Amino acid sequence: MVDRAEATDRLAELAIYGANVQPGQVLAISSYVGKEELTRVIARKGYQRGARWVDVVTFDQWLKRERIAHAAEETLDFVPPWMRERLLWLSEEHAARVSLSGPHAPTALEGLDPARAGRDLLPWLPEVGPVVNARTTNWTIVPAPTAPWAVRVYPELEAEEALDRLWEAIVHVCRLERPDPGAAWDERSATLKANADRLTARRFDAIRLHGPGTDLTVGLFPSSVWLAGGAETVDGIHHHANLPTEETFTTPDPTRVDGRVTATMPLELYGSIVRGLRVEFAGGRAVKIDADEGADALRAAAARDEGASRLGELALVDGEGRIGPLGTVFYDTLLDENAASHIAIGHAYERGVEDEADIARINHSSIHVDFMIGSPELDVDGITTEGEAVPVLREGRWQI
Amino acid sequence: MADLAPDDRFRRLAELVVGFGANVQPGQIVGLTSYVGKEGVAREIARAAYQRGARWVDVVVFDDLLKRERLLHAPEESLDFVPPWLRDRLLWLSDERAARISFSGPQAPGALDGVDPARAGRDLLPWLAEVGEVVNGRTTNWSAIPVPTAAWAALVHPGLAPDEALERLWADVAHVCRLDEPDPEAAWDLRMGALGAAAAKLTERRFDAIRLHGPGTDLTIGLLPSSVWGAAVFETVDGLTHHPNLPTEEVFTTPDPARADGVVTMTMPRELYGQLIEGIRIEFVEGRAVRIDAERNAETLRVAAAKDEGASRLGELALVDGHGRIGPLGTVFYDTLLDENAASHLALGDGLSMGVDDEADRERMNRSAIHVDLMAGSPELEVDGITAAGEHVPVLRRGDWQL
Repeated sequence: MVDRAEATDRLAELAIYGANVQPGQVLAISSYVGKEELTRVIARKGYQRGARWVDVVTFDQWLKRERIAHAAEETLDFVPPWMRERLLWLSEEHAARVSLSGPHAPTALEGLDPARAGRDLLPWLPEVGPVVNARTTNWTIVPAPTAPWAVRVYPELEAEEALDRLWEAIVHVCRLERPDPGAAWDERSATLKANADRLTARRFDAIRLHGPGTDLTVGLFPSSVWLAGGAETVDGIHHHANLPTEETFTTPDPTRVDGRVTATMPLELYGSIVRGLRVEFAGGRAVKIDADEGADALRAAAARDEGASRLGELALVDGEGRIGPLGTVFYDTLLDENAASHIAIGHAYERGVEDEADIARINHSSIHVDFMIGSPELDVDGITTEGEAVPVLREGRWQI
Repeated sequence: MADLAPDDRFRRLAELVVGFGANVQPGQIVGLTSYVGKEGVAREIARAAYQRGARWVDVVVFDDLLKRERLLHAPEESLDFVPPWLRDRLLWLSDERAARISFSGPQAPGALDGVDPARAGRDLLPWLAEVGEVVNGRTTNWSAIPVPTAAWAALVHPGLAPDEALERLWADVAHVCRLDEPDPEAAWDLRMGALGAAAAKLTERRFDAIRLHGPGTDLTIGLLPSSVWGAAVFETVDGLTHHPNLPTEEVFTTPDPARADGVVTMTMPRELYGQLIEGIRIEFVEGRAVRIDAERNAETLRVAAAKDEGASRLGELALVDGHGRIGPLGTVFYDTLLDENAASHLALGDGLSMGVDDEADRERMNRSAIHVDLMAGSPELEVDGITAAGEHVPVLRRGDWQL
């Protein structure tokens, strides 16, 4: 069984490694109620690395529930100015940032009107995208287990048992059992990066995803590049933006997406669970969103602004990662998106295209919602500018 | 004492502070300063506030165990850094004419054990230098209430099992906040009426000074010509009545920072920067604390008093009669909000501008980045008013008003 204190310590160490906190930096931590212990250990290690100030904000989905249930409708998209100013300050300071993922209270927003819930996107801020694109901050996201999350993932277990089980899964997928998890991630990132470079070298015009319930062709830009593993700030600080990470991703052309996809995993969105999701795209836009459950939550998100119904990301996940083989739905985008190939509506990463002209054409939105469409049955082809279809992934294995 | 179910106490305490304490108005923003372990009451406050029409409940959460990590591991010269957004947030709340609610009661009383008090005294968060200015500007309707945690309960009731201690502390808080009354707001209106009447009588006498004498204490504190006595019922510039402290049992004024002479022995310990200071004795000469001694952790109080020019002078004098609900419990709560309303007290540091009437006197009142209340009262403490002619008039004897 996992020693939680030891696992907390190793996970905190990995978060510091992932963000690559530098002496003299401000370190921001975005936390949730129930994740205090991990937050404190990250703070300790941050200070021990020489951080000047560890700036923690703590969110609580139960407080959000009170707002969505009782506040006046027209107030629900209000964002306090200090939160935006704080993020811009962190950017100006060239701070390190750590976010803790995993729903701390998965049932908190149950039964609320998804149209109301979709108006309150906090702690997400519209400024997050620009700050990420500006590459001013070295950041990472790591999963932080809590008992309510564990019960959501393992509903058949008692809370304590479920929490042990979730910790075990986190230790495994974060490679914390390795003598030097940071080195293990450097190694895995190098492999992912090599795959990404091979994809980029092919300069495909489009990617076709086809499998059960899915046949979607996603156009790429002439200068779309595939990325994986670490990122680098304008100051040259290398960081792992997501830990774990198993994906190879690019920024697609938001005007050329056609076909339909069936999600292979449920999606947690603004506290609602979207199950059995099916989306139809035409001319780049999501023109039809259906689901067995929770469709309104995604419809509300996709209606948020002009770019919210177009793609900002396409990511391929091979079968070599540690998350997919578990066959577990974690109800957490960080883990689930690294289990399977996925697409995201909304905000796009500038890093996924090379040319200025293409950067001007990438998608912009205040949202970024990933949903998983991958499975071993999903075939991925690259389409060349001549229209030739080249196998890219078959049964989770790279073909190029 | 009526027994309230735990969830019911959360709700009743939340409703008291939202409706009566801070007097939250429809359309207002509500700033809430909470601590880890107090989420239950914070959520009830959010609900009560939104139900009253609040536009946004702005919660920031502090954690003394995070502060511990900073104080143990951060570079010395970084310890007084305050992130700009925290200041901006407070000034924004002021500009917005927001309601503000904060929680007292140590979240984790041992959190700063073993930390060098000189280092601890450099990190005053969540206190901000701008708080005094915002309070004196009367732009926000605010209130502070005690919110129990298990760790605090274990400190207050060390002889009890953890569950019982928490239960007992909640019962104490419900009692002293008058939540066990059928109509807590009506009970508070009654008590505030009595305190207001005592304050009015004190102001009317225009004493030149107040003398506190009792076991280990003989201190004469000069008042300003326009010092006024008040109870803790405030009004904002927009005319909103609010109760800045719940519970409150005190009648207070702003003294002359240049005239305090004698010696005072504190009757209760004081928690400061995470350290418990016990057996405090202070000597004043011409308004300044020239000597600070204590049986434990004197250094912490000395650090605070050395913070700036005004930190060694008095900003407040408060009298507490024997008819409140806290003093009779005979319990040390290790929490200023509760302990200062158990006994007469004085405060080193910043003065309240509403404690003086004239502009000229306001210029003379004490200014400081700190405000540290210290409890000197007991049934044995005699309080006299000294008139301009030098006559000594009994004010409090065995906890009863003599005016």
